[in-house]
Formats: sequence, C-alpha cells, structure tokens
Amino acid sequence: MSTERQIDAPRAPGSPGGWDARSQELLADAALVREPAAWRGAASGAGAGPKAARRGGADPVKALMHRHRELCERAVDPLEIAAGLEAHGVTDRTAARFRHRDVFALAEEMYARVPRDEEERAVPVALPAPSAPEVPAARALIALLPGAACGLAVAGLELSEGRARLAVGIGGALAVAVALLVTLRHGPLRSAHRALPATRAWTCLLVAYALFGDGLLRAAVSAGPGGLPAPSTAAALGLALAVAPAAWCVRLFAVRAQARLSLSRGLTEFTASVRPLLLGVLALYLCALAALLVGAAALSGTAVGAGAGALGALLLLSRLLRTYGFTRAPALMLGFAGAVEAASLACGFAGRLPGCAWLAAPVEGAVRAWGPGVVPLVACGAAAGVLLLHSLRVLSRASAHAGGAS
Amino acid sequence: MDNRPSRHLHVRIRSSRCEPLVQRRLSIREIGGVRVRIGLLTEGGYPYVSGDARLWCDRLVRGLGQHEFDVYALSRSERQEARGWVELPPQVNRVRTAPLWTADDDIAPGAEARFRYGRRARRRFAECFGELASAVCDSAPGTPSALADRFSSGLYGLAELAGDEGGLVGALRSEAAVRALESACRAPGALRAARTARVPDLLAVADRLERALRPLSLDWYGDDCLGAVDLCHATSGGPAALPGLLAEHFCGVPLLVTEYGVQLRAHYLATGDEALSAPARALLTSFHGRLAAEVYDRATVITPGNTHARRWQERCGAERAKLRTVYPGMEASRFAEVGEREDPGDPDTLLWVGRIEPAKDLISLLHAFAEVRKEEPKALLRIVGAPAEGPEAAAYLAHCKALAAQLFPDEAQGAHAVGDNPVSFEEIGTPGAPELQDAYAAGSVVVLSSVIEGFPISLVEAMFCGRATVSTDVGAVVEVIGGTGLVVPPRNPRALADACVALLRDAGRRERLGAAARARALELFTVEQNIEAFRGIYLEIVSRCPVRREALDDAGEPVPFGNPAEARMPGRWAGAAGGGDTGAPSWAQEADEPQQLKGAGV
Repeated sequence: MSTERQIDAPRAPGSPGGWDARSQELLADAALVREPAAWRGAASGAGAGPKAARRGGADPVKALMHRHRELCERAVDPLEIAAGLEAHGVTDRTAARFRHRDVFALAEEMYARVPRDEEERAVPVALPAPSAPEVPAARALIALLPGAACGLAVAGLELSEGRARLAVGIGGALAVAVALLVTLRHGPLRSAHRALPATRAWTCLLVAYALFGDGLLRAAVSAGPGGLPAPSTAAALGLALAVAPAAWCVRLFAVRAQARLSLSRGLTEFTASVRPLLLGVLALYLCALAALLVGAAALSGTAVGAGAGALGALLLLSRLLRTYGFTRAPALMLGFAGAVEAASLACGFAGRLPGCAWLAAPVEGAVRAWGPGVVPLVACGAAAGVLLLHSLRVLSRASAHAGGAS
Repeated sequence: MDNRPSRHLHVRIRSSRCEPLVQRRLSIREIGGVRVRIGLLTEGGYPYVSGDARLWCDRLVRGLGQHEFDVYALSRSERQEARGWVELPPQVNRVRTAPLWTADDDIAPGAEARFRYGRRARRRFAECFGELASAVCDSAPGTPSALADRFSSGLYGLAELAGDEGGLVGALRSEAAVRALESACRAPGALRAARTARVPDLLAVADRLERALRPLSLDWYGDDCLGAVDLCHATSGGPAALPGLLAEHFCGVPLLVTEYGVQLRAHYLATGDEALSAPARALLTSFHGRLAAEVYDRATVITPGNTHARRWQERCGAERAKLRTVYPGMEASRFAEVGEREDPGDPDTLLWVGRIEPAKDLISLLHAFAEVRKEEPKALLRIVGAPAEGPEAAAYLAHCKALAAQLFPDEAQGAHAVGDNPVSFEEIGTPGAPELQDAYAAGSVVVLSSVIEGFPISLVEAMFCGRATVSTDVGAVVEVIGGTGLVVPPRNPRALADACVALLRDAGRRERLGAAARARALELFTVEQNIEAFRGIYLEIVSRCPVRREALDDAGEPVPFGNPAEARMPGRWAGAAGGGDTGAPSWAQEADEPQQLKGAGV
C-alpha cells in the first residue's frame, strides 16, 4: 500500500531524467485514454505500448482537469472531486488509465494541481445578495395610509359640530386603527413573531395617554371639572404621519444591515458597523418625527409636547426589536412607560380624595414646574433609552440578522 | 438579555408517538430463535409513503417477523409527513417520528426567547460547541485520532446538554455558536478554505449545523425509548445514524449502519448544487466527514450495499473488519416464469430496458446497432422504457427517435407490405410489452449502454430472466454481472456491436450465459438473501455486543447481583448463566447458538 501510494502521489518532477520517463509513459497512455478498445488490449497485456494518440496532449490528467475544471475549482476537498468524477462516470478502471490506483487517488492529484494562491484566492465574495426582498413602491406607500386616514379624520372633526363630531371622531379612530393594522401586517414593520398579549394593551394605553393624558393631568392637578378633555389632534396627526418614516427607517436598517453583513469579515467588525447605522437610522427617524409633530401642531393650531416624540421613539424601537424576534424587552419597557403614566394620572386624581393630598404632591409639583408634558416625556424617554441600549446590544449581533442571510 | 438562570424554556423538537397501550414487553425467549428488539432508525424513509428505501425496510420488517421493531423516523419535509405512512405489520411495536425540517413557528432567527439557558449551561454550551467547531475547522493532518476525540467529546457534550436543558435549537443559532465558529475558523491550523469565512458564511454554517444536529434535541434516549432496544439499525448514514450514535453513547446499544448510497457522497453531490460559498461548504463537508467517521467508528457492523459504497466507507475511516456487503434484494418471483421457460426469446432481438435519460447513452447504443445491422441484417432493437422526469429526458428521447429514424430507414417484408423501423421505442403497458417480464421475454440479448450507473437494476432483472447480457463497464456492473455476461468499455459503440454480434450468432453461448446469470442473481440478489443476511447480522451483534442493563425488580429498583457475573464474560459461558425472568435480556440465554450467527459476508 505504501509503495502504491508513492507511485500515486502527485509530485513535482525530481530530476529531468525521471520526468522524461514518466512523461513518455503518460504520452503513451494518452492514446489509451481516448481509445477504450485499445485499452482493452492493454489491460490484458502487461505493459502499454506506445500508440498513436488521436487527441489529447502529454498530460492526460490535465485534459481531465480541463474537462472538469468547474468541479476542480469549486471543490473544497479531494473527496468532492472524487464524488463529482464518479457522477460523471469515472470509475476505478478509468483512473487506472491515468496511472492511479482508484478514483480517490486521481481526485487527490487533481485537487493538488488546481492552481490556488495560498491565502487570498479571490474567494467569490457572495454578492450582496438580494437579501432583503425587493418591495414594490406601492407597498412602501401603504405606510402613508394611517397618516392619510388621520388627516381626514382631523379635518372632519374641524368641520363638523355636535353629534356629527362624535360620529366623525369614532369613525376616524376606527379608520386609523384599520390603516395601522394593514401597515403593520404588510409593510416593513410586519413581524413573524407573535406579540406578547401585554404588548398590545400597553401600546393602546400609551397612545390613549398621548391623546388625552395631558388634558386629564392638567384637570387633575388644577382640580377643575371632570369629563374627557378634547383629544390632542396634533399628537394624533403627528404620530399617525410618523408611521411612514418609521416603516421606511426599519426597512432602511434591514437593507443596510444585510449589506454590511455580507461585506464584513468578522463578527466584531459587523457589530462595530451596525451600531452607528442603528443610531443614524434612529436619528433620521427622530428628525422626521419632530418635523411632523411641529408641522401637525402648526396645522392644527395646538401645541404638542415632547412626550409625543418620546412615545414615537419608544414605539419604533419596540417594533424594530419585534421584527427581529425580540419580544420580551419591548413588552417590559412598554409596560414600564404605561405604568408610570397611569400611576401619575391615578396619583393626580387620588389627590382629590380627603387625606391623600400627599399622593398628588410630586405630580403636582412636576406639572406646575414643567407642564403636564413632562410625564410622558420622562416615562417614554426612559423606556426608549433602555430599549435603545438593549437594541444596540442585540441588534448588532450577526445572529439576529441570520434570517435574511441563510 | 433575558437569560435569567431560573427560567428554562423547554423547547424539545416535536416528536410524535404511536404505540399500543400495552405495557412494554421485555424480550421474550421463544422456541427456535432469539427475539431481538430492534430500533430501526430512518431519515426521510420507511414509515412514510414517499420515503426512500421504504420498500426494502418494509420487506425487512415483514421478513423478520420473529423480532420486534421500534421505528424511529425523521421526516424530511412537511409534505412527506402529510402523505402519511405505509401500512405497518404487527411486529412494529411503536413508531416515533420527528421533523428535520423547519417549522416556521418553532425556530425563528434571533429568537432570543428560545435560548434561555442559565449561566452554567451557557458556559457548557460554549465549551462543547467550541470543541466541536474546532474539530470541524481543524485541518490537522497529523493527528486524526485526537481530532476525532475532540469531535466526539463535543458532540456527546452537546447531547448531554440537550438532555439536561431540554433542547439545543435556540442555542445553536445564538451568537455564542456563531462566535465559536468564528474563533475556530481563525485559529491557527484551521482549514485553508475556512480561514476566509465571512459572517454570512458563518451564519449559513450555524444554520445547517443546527439542522444537522437536531436529533440531539430529541427525547429518544431514555430507558423507555432507544435505551430499551437490543440493537439500533440505521437505514442510512448521516442524520439517521445520529440517534444511533447517541443511543450507543447513553445506553450502550450496539449500532448497525446500512448504507446503500453513502450519505457523505450524497452530501458532496448535493452541496454542489446549493448556492453556498466555498468556506461554508468546506466547513459543512468537514463536519459531515467527521460525523461519518464517528458513525463508522462507533458502529458495530456496517453493511454497504455494494463495493462502491464499501470503498467510500473505507475511505471515510470504516474498519474493514466491520464491513459486510449486503446486496439489495429484488423480487425474483415475477421473473421466475420467464427465467425458467425454455423459450430463449426472439433470437434476432436486442433489448434495452430502463428509464431513458442522457446518462444511459442510447446514442451510443444506436450507433452500435448500426454496426450490428451491417453484420446481422435481420437484427432488431427494442428500447423499452419511459423517459425520466424533466424536460431534458424528454428532449433526449426525441433526439434518440430522430437519430434512429435517420440511421435506419423503415423496412418492409415485400413490395406490398407496410414497413416498420427496426428500432422500436416502447413503454411498459403498451400491447408489445404489457408487463416488465414480457419485455424481457421478447428479447434474446439484453444490452446496457450507460455511461453512468449506480446499481444497475435492469441488469439484475435481465439476470433473473436468464437473458444473456452485454453491458458497459460502469458503476457496479462488473460486480453484479460477475462472469455471467459480456462487459465492454463505455462510449465504445464498436466494442458494444462486436459483443452483441458475437452473442446473436451463438445461441448456445447465450443460453449458457443466461443460465449462469440467473443462478448468480438467485444466489446474490434475492429478497430472501438480503433478509437472511440481516437476520444473521442481528444475531451476531446481539450475541457479540449485548446491551448491559441493570436488572430491575417489580418496583423498579435495581436488583443487586441480578445479572450474574458470568453474563459479563464473552462467549458461550453467558448462555449457561441463565438470567431467568429477572429481566436479563434474552440474548444472554441464547448466546450459545453460534450456528445461527453466520455472517453475511459476500
């Protein structure tokens, strides 16, 4: 076996004399490669006499490698070449014609002779494949639906009076909700992961607070008359319009992260490149959100607090995390923000009860000092900050982006 | 991150169970034989209607009615699962199945919720997976045994972790796994191709590894499942053998691996089609190679289906002493009538039977037939078979028909008769050949002109029918035909024609060759031969490598000295020990029947 190995092992010519003899043999064999009938005779006889080659040169293995060059270039080990050769009908008897004991030895020679630059042969860089599927423009425009519905509803509210106003309000709210659902199901914001049940409830509470919370809190602190205050149309309009930039930003993040994934050579490099991307995308979104909120405030003529902006950031981050399969942290943070807001309202109203004035004291103090907008700003801002830190950690992992890569 | 230690989410892979409600029987001694409980491990195979090799498994299970079978099946796709099972004979005690395909809901990328190990478990996972990854990435030419040790300790470490923590699925897709792969790729001495692995490659590898290692997360390795069988029989290598490996590791159950096609080779051919980058393919092939080596190393007996598979197995590290070639069995009875008939068939007709596809090289056959016609103007050629699936095969058939029409003009008996082409293309079920055996009965010489062939079934059928054959020297043809037919080189119409003419002219030689071929086929390629071989191998394994189980009393407590010390001695003393009804396995009582333990070596 060992002697056979020595014969079979592909090697560079040791001396010119040895090479001549070997190449002569191979030259003679080249005829046998092409002429199986001749080979039959040769196989029965002991030695292969020189025969006229019909085709092929002095190096039959080279010809074979040329025929299977794709296979040879692609192969990652000799066995792969062996499997490919066998699938093309090369048997041990064929290999014997190349002076090899079996297909494995032949494949080893072919593998060894494939030209390779030692380190950096142009590894065919996986093209930044269409990792994130192309989205038609109409899809991207779906994200405008909630904003449009909300704009129509607000206009309707402005124009109508009395009972009609209530009907328009309810109808508008329903329309916005339906548009929002459509956007979340079909746009870049869709998530394959089921939300925890608490997530939805807390989100509704947070949005409701953004609409009515400031008025309620002001009423609670000033001990004015009860009853539902008018909703903050500016916050509603701004947040509904901000769904579109949110969808586009999430999409932008996914696409750019995939591109960086396919380009980066190491995990740390990827992490380092994704963090600024996430921050940049978030900043872009915050700018758009601020512009929309200011625009909505100017349009409706009412003021809007920074709390709505913080809520927008919180909702974006929680949705972003959920699209990547992280559902627990968003649920926790939404719950935290919602609980803080609900607690401050409850404390404000509890102050009206006899003997409980101390409960309302901190809320009252804060509202008198900075206005009612401070509660959502602090609650949502803190939650959004925590979520941001969390997403900087988990979304910068390559494994979070594995879905598109594989 | 929510990896809090107190919350273990138990995500095992769904594994369904179907078994009668009766209590599990201990192996019972029966008159005239040993009852062995066999765990049949399949992957995309037996109980499923659309499974690979289900026919063979079905015959095996039905043929060995005196044994008990527990089937442990891994399914390959949702469609396969939806199509249901074949009818199971009563000796199948239970069937447990688990999917190897991804259910969307179960495993999602970045699903942090699934990977909620405690700190210690995370460290254990990182250690074990790191060891596995470094063994996979290491090129280390000099130390294969140390490498194999690292691979196996990583693999079994992961399996133990999966058993303790309830599943690995999330962990194998976590950042820790990707990081372990990366550091293994960057380590000195790593595979050359793997050194350039990029992040997408690592992710793709982690994904495939998770799929390949999914059997580790199954709950099959308890004492009431694979721990209770006397012997595991994996019907293919690769994923199907992985549960067998773990059963061997956890419970000491001997493993028998049957491979009709070598799984590693199939993997090489399959990865060629996939759009994976070179580093990812290098890592995956290295993993599958190491897994195959581990399976061959731990298996008690390996039964390749032919010499070709055997060579691959030897190449991948199987010891020769473990290898027994067991040829696949084919139903011989349908050909019995044709084979025993005196009628040698139409003496001028050459016959080709098979599925028509480019690898069969019918073009060469037609050219050879043109040569034959020069020598034997009366000769006819019948090509029986349907095109294989796909447009390529249909186009090839059309091309062959056109070539036949060009080469051979229609011929008629006389000036007033309607002519016909000497080459006819027929399908089974047409009036010319209502059944397969009728097709064989019509010709006197069967020709096989393939350039690529695995195990040539049509050749074996021709041998069963007692027909003389001329075949090309490809695949397992020489091994199958032995000396009972003519063999010519592939792609050589001239040689094929010469051989055909020689047989057409010599009726006596045809008859002698046909009779010899039929005798050979009946000896080697019948179903009975296959089943007998496995019966012998089963008994050999259970007598040679019995499972050592603690004897338990009625309350489930271990009985001290329940197994006599002699039971641990090899050889025939074990038979004298007689465990009685204390739960000692039946093989211990039967081990002194060596005449039953014949090997099936061929």
